[in-house]
Amino acid sequence: MRFKAQIHNIQTFTKLTASLNSLGPLAWLKLSDEQVCFTIIPEQGTQVWAVLSIDTIFDTYAVQSAANNVINLEVPLGPLNRALKSALNATSAQMRLTKKDSIPLLALTISTTSSNNSYSAFPAGANRDDNAIFDDHFGGNRETIITQEVPIRVLAPDVVSGLHEPQTREPDVHIVLPPLMQLKSISDRFTKLAMAGARAGSGTATTRTRLEMAANMHGCLKMSLKTDAMSISSVWTDLVNPELDPSQVANGDIGIVEHPSTRMKLLGSADGQSDEGWASVSIDGKDWGKVMSVGRLGGRVIACFCHEHALILYVYLPTDSGEDESVLTYYISSYSA
Amino acid sequence: MEEEDELPLLTAVSSSARQLYLLLRCINFAEKAHVQINDGGLQFSVDEASVMEGSAFLSKDLFTTYTFRAPAPSQREINDSDDEDAPLEPDLPTFQISLPALLETLQIFGLTDPSTSKPHWARDAPASTATGGAFTNNVLGMNNMCRIAYASPGSPLSIVLTEASIRTTCNLTTYEPTFANEIPFDRQALAFKTIMRGTWLYDAVAELSSTSPEKLTLWARTRARKPYFALSSSGTLGSARVEFNNTPVTRAPPPTNNAGTVDAGAPQVNLLETFQLSDPTTPFRASYKFSLIQRAARTMSVATKVSVRVDEQGVLSLQFMIEVEPGKVSFVDFRFVPLVEDDEDVEETQFLGGEEESDESVMEDEDEL
Repeated sequence: MRFKAQIHNIQTFTKLTASLNSLGPLAWLKLSDEQVCFTIIPEQGTQVWAVLSIDTIFDTYAVQSAANNVINLEVPLGPLNRALKSALNATSAQMRLTKKDSIPLLALTISTTSSNNSYSAFPAGANRDDNAIFDDHFGGNRETIITQEVPIRVLAPDVVSGLHEPQTREPDVHIVLPPLMQLKSISDRFTKLAMAGARAGSGTATTRTRLEMAANMHGCLKMSLKTDAMSISSVWTDLVNPELDPSQVANGDIGIVEHPSTRMKLLGSADGQSDEGWASVSIDGKDWGKVMSVGRLGGRVIACFCHEHALILYVYLPTDSGEDESVLTYYISSYSA
Repeated sequence: MEEEDELPLLTAVSSSARQLYLLLRCINFAEKAHVQINDGGLQFSVDEASVMEGSAFLSKDLFTTYTFRAPAPSQREINDSDDEDAPLEPDLPTFQISLPALLETLQIFGLTDPSTSKPHWARDAPASTATGGAFTNNVLGMNNMCRIAYASPGSPLSIVLTEASIRTTCNLTTYEPTFANEIPFDRQALAFKTIMRGTWLYDAVAELSSTSPEKLTLWARTRARKPYFALSSSGTLGSARVEFNNTPVTRAPPPTNNAGTVDAGAPQVNLLETFQLSDPTTPFRASYKFSLIQRAARTMSVATKVSVRVDEQGVLSLQFMIEVEPGKVSFVDFRFVPLVEDDEDVEETQFLGGEEESDESVMEDEDEL
């Protein structure tokens, strides 16, 4: 069993592990010839199934195992994220699977160019690229190698064979979400409001904040919250409902005609004022805030609403090549109404 | 009646939720606020254990549209005056709402504001946000629309905020007012009145707060036709005093026995704009709970001017003038019930004795000049 790879995009990898870590401490990492998969299945809350193309985070990449060159690992996300953080200034970073005293490890070898003392007289805050140039000019650089070891667990194929991506019915509404950071800032306000309302309320305070998310097929997204003291809702309009690709839908064109979203198109209006045509889910405010933290990766997000059932987010990470996009899939199940 | 019910009692549109937020934030020390709607605007008031009251008046000048349809003209004549001090009319719409919820709503777009991406030093300086610096949203026209509506008695107070393609609607549950009597303040019988800059009062209170005192005492008197005003604090850790003198002082008076003295403000400027004592012959003093006065600190820091008034009963009224944008002023009022003085004699001799001495020496110097 061998795995060795050069990390090509440390920033993205760090942000990815940080946002995954907010949902659960352990991830199932599946390394294969074609892709890298991160899966987080917490006790409760949102599941993430991330499928990354290799070139999203790795450069030279080699994986070998007896089981069709697939390696399954259980990785603690916190330590992995901390290890990656120390690689942020690195000139190069390499990750490989190794063993130390019969404990399997992911070893992260980071080489950085640190500078000598004369250099520290320059004001801080200068751009890192500038620093590198300065170093080259003044010859004050010195290479440092840091090795971070993250203890992991190797999972046997039959352990992971029972794990399957959740099956959901065809969504009623699919919509491109506004920038997640904007959505997060408003949903965080909502959570705060719920707490303010709970304090004012007479002892009936609920610790959970139930956010109501809804969307229609006319470019509207609605987020609402109700407490004793108030009810609040924000409506986004002019969003995009992407067209379904007949080749991706069961039964092709007929499938699209019979698709629930086609029926939903007939209901509701583009100004978001109508009460009809909304597919809504009821989710936990805090959990939603954690999911939104993936916004720092800056991808395109499509939300699929299965009315009163589940909300599925597809986060498409931007890639250099433009081909085989990496996608993170979030399964958020709805509270029963 | 039925026809009237279809039209909302109040519709008000403001082009800046931020202005409303800045004013209402001043009185953010209670869970519930009383709201009273009249022809001149919206009055928000909060109260703390009936010993302190704060009220912010959102005058109709703050709104681009302000339509108030007075309910049931049969009941009584509606007070027509724009004066924010107009006596409470019982038939004007009055209700309670959750103040923290309202404040959170008003700044719902705050985080997506481009201004918050600025470095920390470039925003939220208390002085510049109130008056509006060159790069605030008001000037750049980035402000968001805010519409307030109140349909009929018992219906929620609805606030609609719009920014770009996002529309937020908040319906605040309205509660029956709790008929707490407001603290009586007799402005016909004032014992003392002075007007000064809000920030000076803020600096003085901030300075005194360092010893975490329990009590704040106001001192005022006229000596040789010159006004003298001081704030002193006392608590378990000691006492301190800040003096305001209208006359040029060349040096700070020597510290008195147990009081650290802080000289406030530039000597050339007249610190006190107005200074009135009902009885100039006797020194005036009144004490208040320090922690309550401190609740008004945020308001002091943003106010252009403050009028400090005490009536014959000792009730303190702090009226703050806040410039939300150049040329547009709003008022925030606070009222405090005085502390009952029991150890009066001991302190009087200590303070006035020491103070007299130091004062005298300064006066003498000046007389010679």
